[in-house]
Amino acid sequence: MIIFCGMSIMLLPLILILWLSVTSNEILALPVEGYSFRWFSEAFRQPQFLSGFLLSVTVATFATVAGLIVSVPAALVIVRRRFWGREALIQLLMSPLTVPAIVIGAALYITVVEVEIASGVPLVGSTAIFAAGHVLLTIPWCVRLLLASMEGLNQSIEEAAASLGASPASVIWRVTLPLIRPAMFAAGVFAFVVSFGNLEVSIFLSGPGQVTLPVAVMQYLEWKIDPTIAAVSVLQVLFVAVMLVISDRFVNISRMV
Amino acid sequence: MQTKPIGAAALLIPATGLVLVFMGLPLIYLFRYSLNQYVPGEFIVDGFTLENYRIFFSEAYYLTGMWTTLLMAGAVTILCITLGLPIANWIARQSGTLKTILLMAVILPLFISNAVRAAGWMVAFGQAGVLNYVLLQLGLISEPLQIMQTPIAVFIGMTAVNLPYVVLTLQSIFEGLDENIDFAAASLGAQPLQSFFLVRLPQVVPGILAASMLSFILAMNAYATPVLLGGPSFRMMAPMVVVEIMNKANWPLGAALAFILLATTVAISILAALFIRRRY
Repeated sequence: MIIFCGMSIMLLPLILILWLSVTSNEILALPVEGYSFRWFSEAFRQPQFLSGFLLSVTVATFATVAGLIVSVPAALVIVRRRFWGREALIQLLMSPLTVPAIVIGAALYITVVEVEIASGVPLVGSTAIFAAGHVLLTIPWCVRLLLASMEGLNQSIEEAAASLGASPASVIWRVTLPLIRPAMFAAGVFAFVVSFGNLEVSIFLSGPGQVTLPVAVMQYLEWKIDPTIAAVSVLQVLFVAVMLVISDRFVNISRMV
Repeated sequence: MQTKPIGAAALLIPATGLVLVFMGLPLIYLFRYSLNQYVPGEFIVDGFTLENYRIFFSEAYYLTGMWTTLLMAGAVTILCITLGLPIANWIARQSGTLKTILLMAVILPLFISNAVRAAGWMVAFGQAGVLNYVLLQLGLISEPLQIMQTPIAVFIGMTAVNLPYVVLTLQSIFEGLDENIDFAAASLGAQPLQSFFLVRLPQVVPGILAASMLSFILAMNAYATPVLLGGPSFRMMAPMVVVEIMNKANWPLGAALAFILLATTVAISILAALFIRRRY
């Protein structure tokens, strides 16, 4: 009984959105007149959703690539070396998960506007600033997933390569990186999904005409709920689900959250 | 790997630098800004005053928002643990395809934005929503109930958001339990329910504490759910930060609110970590 309540509380909202997206009524009204897929084409006609999707994908791609580029070397050092302040460093890299996203957004916004005033360069709403804010969200996930996978790595393979005359750089490039490729891929997918779905940081960094998809959805919902926004949401859910299924081929997701 | 210390430092700098430049410095600046004075109409008035913090601790508008946030976070956490324990225990005992499906059902909502899940509840709770329609059809009520824009809607919406986190945290702990202990309890005559409460539950107390802390902090910082389900007159901390900075353009007070939210969150995580470490 409790199990049923709990499972339905988690799944009911998703089922209702799916249902609303295929009803044919203009607005939410019961009983429904019929079912249709026309709201999915309507979703593509509303410019803010399409441009929001493109901005979200661009930002998430930049943030994910940057997050991986800085996290892989950091994770390598953290796993392989014991140094003073190692624990503190891990805590620092994970801290964007502890600091409330809304606080990160507020702090970044105030700072960026100040820099804007001082330098005269318009920054708010620019893709670069979105990417800068979102890289904070991708680093902790990259570090966490990479550390988890690297700790189980058999170091003797690298030692064997080194003893056969490979230079340290060549060991990393030709042995270590290929070994952690699945973890890098999973970290990338995770980071992408987290950045793609972020609302709290983006809400501060959005400028006129420059909004990410989650912000566009939020602004629409504050105004009204109808089958169009439900269709947008369903497409968003499908997009994320596909990403997750891809990454599940590489790592066990339930162990990573 | 025989990299020199300098080489190792160079590998650490990019990640550390990004976090420090894009989060560390802005947070320091945010704190400095919370000490500035707010003069309506003027953009920035440099000052050094605790006025914004005094306003927070003396005006009912802000204090109520804080209390609502803490109460809501507490209530949501209690419900999440109550629902999450049996679900996690049940999932941990399944195997094969059913288990994969159940885990997917728990994980998928986790990756769906809070706004979309709040929208689902809007479909359920609205004046013309599914719940009102069903109750009207059954003749249980004669006119639609007002559920949207009440704390109840926020309460249910936030529970739905936090429950997957709680279930996954607890499930991984139940997974690690030694099944032989359950068999021992059963062979000594314990009923399933007795065995759950007297044998399994005590073993997962640290996990319950960790899950509670996670849920409490998530609830404290919730934004989309309270805004969409609670309406404009329902106030919690994260929405208040946005309103103050983006709508009222009162940056110093908004910065103070953000800083109070940050300090409360960090304090709770440190206290909970210390408590768990000392006891277990």
